[in-house]
Amino acid sequence: MSDSLLLQGQDLRKTYVLGKTTVPVLHGASIDVAEGAWVSILGSSGSGKSTLLHLLGGLDRPDENSGQVLYRGQSVWEQSQRAINDYRNNDIGFVFQFYHLLPELTVLENACLPAMIGQVNEDGLERAEVLLKEFGLGHRLHHKPRELSGGERQRTAIARALVNEPSVLLADEPTGNLDEETGSEILGVLKELHQDGLAIVMVTHDPSIASQGTETVHLRRGVIE
Amino acid sequence: MYQSRLTIRYLTSRFIPTIAVAAVALCVALVIVVVSVMTGFLNMVQSSGRTLMGDVVVTYGLSGIPHYDRLMDTIEQHESVEAVTPIVDGWGLLRMPYPDRDAKQSETVQVWGIEPHSFAEVTKFADSLQWKSVSENQRDWLLIDAIQKHEEAVLSRLDDDTKAFVIEHVNAAARSMNFESVGLAQTLEDTLQTEDWEYILSLDPRLTNEGEVHAQGLSLERDGKPAIVSGLHVSEGNERQDDGSYQVIRNDYWWLPRYTGTLTMLPIDAQGGIIEPESIVMPFANEFMSGVYIIDDTRIFVPLHVAQQLLHLDEAEIVDEDDPTETVGVDPAKVTSVLVRGVEGVNADDLRAIVQSSYLKFYDEMPIGTFVMPPPLGDPGLVIQTWEDQQRSFTGPVEKERELMRTLFSIIYLVVAALILSIFWSIVFEKTKDIGILRSIGASRLSVVWVFLQFALVIGVTGALLGSLLGWLITTNINAIHEALGNPPIAIAIGAIILGCLTIAWMFKRSRNGDFLPIVLGSLGAILFASIAFVVFNIRAMGGLVIWDASVYYFSHIPNDVDWNAAIITSIGAVVFCLIGAAIPSAKAADIDPVKALRHE
Ligand SMILES: Nc1ncnc2c1ncn2[C@@H]1O[C@H](COP(=O)(O)OP(=O)(O)OP(=O)(O)O)[C@@H](O)[C@H]1O
Ligand SMILES: [Mg+2]
Repeated sequence: MSDSLLLQGQDLRKTYVLGKTTVPVLHGASIDVAEGAWVSILGSSGSGKSTLLHLLGGLDRPDENSGQVLYRGQSVWEQSQRAINDYRNNDIGFVFQFYHLLPELTVLENACLPAMIGQVNEDGLERAEVLLKEFGLGHRLHHKPRELSGGERQRTAIARALVNEPSVLLADEPTGNLDEETGSEILGVLKELHQDGLAIVMVTHDPSIASQGTETVHLRRGVIE
Repeated sequence: MYQSRLTIRYLTSRFIPTIAVAAVALCVALVIVVVSVMTGFLNMVQSSGRTLMGDVVVTYGLSGIPHYDRLMDTIEQHESVEAVTPIVDGWGLLRMPYPDRDAKQSETVQVWGIEPHSFAEVTKFADSLQWKSVSENQRDWLLIDAIQKHEEAVLSRLDDDTKAFVIEHVNAAARSMNFESVGLAQTLEDTLQTEDWEYILSLDPRLTNEGEVHAQGLSLERDGKPAIVSGLHVSEGNERQDDGSYQVIRNDYWWLPRYTGTLTMLPIDAQGGIIEPESIVMPFANEFMSGVYIIDDTRIFVPLHVAQQLLHLDEAEIVDEDDPTETVGVDPAKVTSVLVRGVEGVNADDLRAIVQSSYLKFYDEMPIGTFVMPPPLGDPGLVIQTWEDQQRSFTGPVEKERELMRTLFSIIYLVVAALILSIFWSIVFEKTKDIGILRSIGASRLSVVWVFLQFALVIGVTGALLGSLLGWLITTNINAIHEALGNPPIAIAIGAIILGCLTIAWMFKRSRNGDFLPIVLGSLGAILFASIAFVVFNIRAMGGLVIWDASVYYFSHIPNDVDWNAAIITSIGAVVFCLIGAAIPSAKAADIDPVKALRHE
């Protein structure tokens, strides 16, 4: 176990149970994310990319007989509830494939929600505002998500993921629903963040986007190749 | 705190919280109104007993209890007894002063001979008297009566001009006061010499002393003569107003305390045969209202000794059967019942046992050789009952309904609880995805549940407060609402028709581009308004609808006191069910892994 390894997925297995049929998705996928790395996960639709990312982000639980997710050498799912909440809130930033913003809150409120929940940083609101302005959403701060375009929503979601200054960003097809131009805008943002030292794990099925990262892995038949 | 922010957003940015508040408010109001009216009804049944007959009644049929003074003394000696009063109870025919002097109408009445002073101690007689003071109109009528009755004496005091003035004004007033007030007293006071005016005032004490009419009712005496106090519904001159008060028709012309009536009673001899009817002319002193319809409709009070005379229950000499000139003894005065009131806090059943043992003592202590003995305790004709037993005959059906009402309450509570629960369940269930988002960015389970508890608390408390307010408004105005329902203003029907037409016009306008929703809403609206108009017309065609029929429910008005205990319990219950309805689904959603919650659509 190397010191520079930030996040590790070891022999991850995930099987969905639908009534009597079981859907095995991950068969022992392992992935290492070093400090400051940008890992792109490539794979076809339905190959389990999102599932893997959810496991890494502590949003879903691996199977019983599975390996584990380690963050700075510490098993995520073996910690207390409180520590898991803290991990989700503070250590990682998650950008969902389908944005998942709260419809009743404004853009600004959505972006600073993790800061308000964590209550560790007093200046969450300011940071959210700075991030949103940086992402070109300064004129949309008090709008509701339903009034935004897809790209604007995605940028809001990224701002939310970054507001608590995580050490790793998990992004699930951040450009998947966007046109090329908006997509490259978002990639530009990620690139800058990476340059500032943020580790990124990004899921995509587009090899040219994957090539932006420092490292590309393929998810096929439930394992990382 | 993010929770408060989110709660406020949930509360303000959606239409559903308003509906939830309205639903909670309506549920709370419904329960408050139903429970208040029903418990009010039961309370009236219970308290009416005390109002009218005290706590325990000793009755001995038609022949009466002799030596009742001794009985009353014996009962009163017990420290649990507050007051005792004798009653003579019988039926009679009362000739009323209306419609005109030749063909007076007769009413069958239940006559209670009472001793007013002790009667007022046992029952709420003083409170129940309707006329506590004399109104302006009533005073003018009394003035007319007094002047016309003592016409010669009054006119002889006046010079010719004044005489003509007084005759003219009194006659004019007697004619026109049926329709409008004329202020006769003021006119006369301004015109007449002080001593003449004072002379007229001295003709009837009610002219000078405001409380005199109440005092006359309390003493059952008018102008030094025994007088009648009759139930408010006995006279047809009293008309119920929309607000539940009573007014005398024709501008107080038929105000009963102006008149006299003739009471006829049929005495019954020891064998149950009817003796010659006895009649007496008596003035009316006042009227009473107990609130129990059948009592207010049929009962009159007269002084005890009058009833005793009419029913031959007064003291009489007993003569030798063979020689009517020879007196062999004295038949003492009798009463048919003795009413007992216990001191505060004594239970009616305990009091009955006390009265029973007092009766035994009374019987045992009768001097040996007493000519007319009271009935022994075992006599089947002698009944010692609590007021509850006594009035069971007329509240029996109501008592049975009590159980039904309890069941009904529970059902209403259950329905309301289920309704509130399901409203919150569905609101929060719909928010499962939000809970997944919150959990995935690190919110703890407790804090997520707290968001929805706050949400439910605000809605529940607002709904409960609004509901209590609404319940209070409806309950306190229930008699007016009932009146309006029974006789709905035609304006409602016209308004409904206009609104119906507007709805149809709106429907055609909005559905022109093929939209279907306006057609659905428009048709529903049109049907609703048409039915309102239809119902209103129908009710009016039937000549009004009486839902609360006084003669069926015994009471002349619907109970309109809010049962605040029930209101508080209901409000708290509503809030609790809001909280439960919010807590369960939110806790459930917070427990599953965030990704699963996120997949909720
Ligand atoms: N909760 C679930 N229950 C049952 N099956 C699931 C569940 N979540 C995912 N799956 C299945 O697991 C497989 C992988 O899903 P996943 O969302 O990880 O794919 P993906 O690689 O992200 O696909 P895409 O590129 O389309 O987003 C799919 O076949 C999917 O149907
Ligand atoms: Mg996916």
